[in-house]
Amino acid sequence: MGAGEYWNPKTETLGRDELTALQLAKLRRLCEWAAARSPFYQRSFREAGFDPGRLRTLDDLRRLPMLTREEWMASQGEQPPFGLLPVAGREAAIRWHTTSGTTGREPIRVLDSAKDWAWQAEMWCYGLWGFGVRPADTAYVAFGYGSFIGFWGLHYGMEKMGVLNVPGGAQTTEGRVKQVVDFGATVVASTPTYALRLAQEAERLGVDLAASPVQRLILSGEPAGSIPQTKALIERLWGARAGDTAGMTEIGTIMIFECSHQPGGTHIIEDHYIEEVVDPASGEPVGYGEAGERVVTSFGRGIIPLLRYRTADLVARVPAARCSCGRGFDLYEGGILGRVDDMKLVRGTNVYPRAVEGIVREFPAVEEFQLLLTREGHFDRIALRVEPAPGVTDEAWADMAERLAKALAEAHEGLRFEVERAAPGELPRFELKARRTVDRRDTPIGG
Amino acid sequence: MPTTDLLGRPTTEVEDELLELYGRCKALLAREDLAPCVRAGARVATVGLWNAVNDLALTSEQLLDLGA
Repeated sequence: MGAGEYWNPKTETLGRDELTALQLAKLRRLCEWAAARSPFYQRSFREAGFDPGRLRTLDDLRRLPMLTREEWMASQGEQPPFGLLPVAGREAAIRWHTTSGTTGREPIRVLDSAKDWAWQAEMWCYGLWGFGVRPADTAYVAFGYGSFIGFWGLHYGMEKMGVLNVPGGAQTTEGRVKQVVDFGATVVASTPTYALRLAQEAERLGVDLAASPVQRLILSGEPAGSIPQTKALIERLWGARAGDTAGMTEIGTIMIFECSHQPGGTHIIEDHYIEEVVDPASGEPVGYGEAGERVVTSFGRGIIPLLRYRTADLVARVPAARCSCGRGFDLYEGGILGRVDDMKLVRGTNVYPRAVEGIVREFPAVEEFQLLLTREGHFDRIALRVEPAPGVTDEAWADMAERLAKALAEAHEGLRFEVERAAPGELPRFELKARRTVDRRDTPIGG
Repeated sequence: MPTTDLLGRPTTEVEDELLELYGRCKALLAREDLAPCVRAGARVATVGLWNAVNDLALTSEQLLDLGA
């Protein structure tokens, strides 16, 4: 592999010992910065008896308590609107973004300086270049450009790389399909769910996306970008390769990306982050290949230093050698596997939405679906509500429903899923983070 | 100006030039007699070079005190 495959050949090819040394050097500076400027960390360091000057190895990082989303939000309540983490106020910033709010909770509010914002685009460059995007490309960004940070960083990353960028802002899905074709896009960025929706709309319009110039899809915002069945479906419908990425508002950008070798996982940008994987219950580190919770330390954002932030993302880390690309960056096998708290317990059986989606996506006639959990008396009920593609006859539906129920039961210790047909257009459609699991078991009667 | 990177390796000719430019941009941005158009341009230049020196592990620092 030539150096031209890497955005930053110098650090992307470092060995483990060198990467660790670089992370330690950056960590010292980050801790000193946080200790000097952030009211939150001044208090946190004091309570933990942590002195940045005594940081000798990366293991010393574990002497710091982990930061939770709840603590961040409590800090926002203590000192509205941004809390005690930031080292400066809005006068020092050029951007104000918030989390997407899809969980219905109060959003986290973040500020970025000019340098921070440029760094966020830089992180996207690692991923975009790594997946094969080049200055000669034309990129279509299927994103609403709101206060949710989403693909903003990708947009600026594309511009920085010299890619011809088409912002597909607020408009209909039909309008976006037409623009993808009319502008001759070679790269499309969207969530996995929305990539499927664009493909469905194209089919309705009689547009053959597989015959279009689109060669790459950059997916982000949902774990589905690394669910093999979903990814295969997207690649087939678009006739293009799909690369997964993942980021979060709390760091402002992506921290992992799938390279052009498509190794079945996403590389961690390890020269800009320390990523720990811990047992969600004990907080103790887990080994390679074991699933655990992501805990991130980010070197990039200056206004909001982030040390040991518990993300609630479920991941399984594997060594860099798992991929043939030559990068020294370890990977998360299967990308983000889900959320630590998204497992559902139904009549004694664990149900993971990611696993359900993997099965559902093997049925190409499924246009949209929803997993609905309800409680009748003391009995939990789980239903897969399916909106089949137009033209699916009653007979074909009956066959599909039977096969879906069988496949789901086989994957869940015989648990019976009720497979129900939803009316056309009945189920919600998503442009950003899809919320296909609806758990009404705690809803009071009449609620 | 540093002669080694954060890993202790000697800097290359390109890295030396980059560090020199970065240092000059920071010095310019620190001046208080800049016209708004000059300050804005100097900030963009400094931030752009910051990304390069940071990526190459030549430095790891914040620019907030320079308004970036």
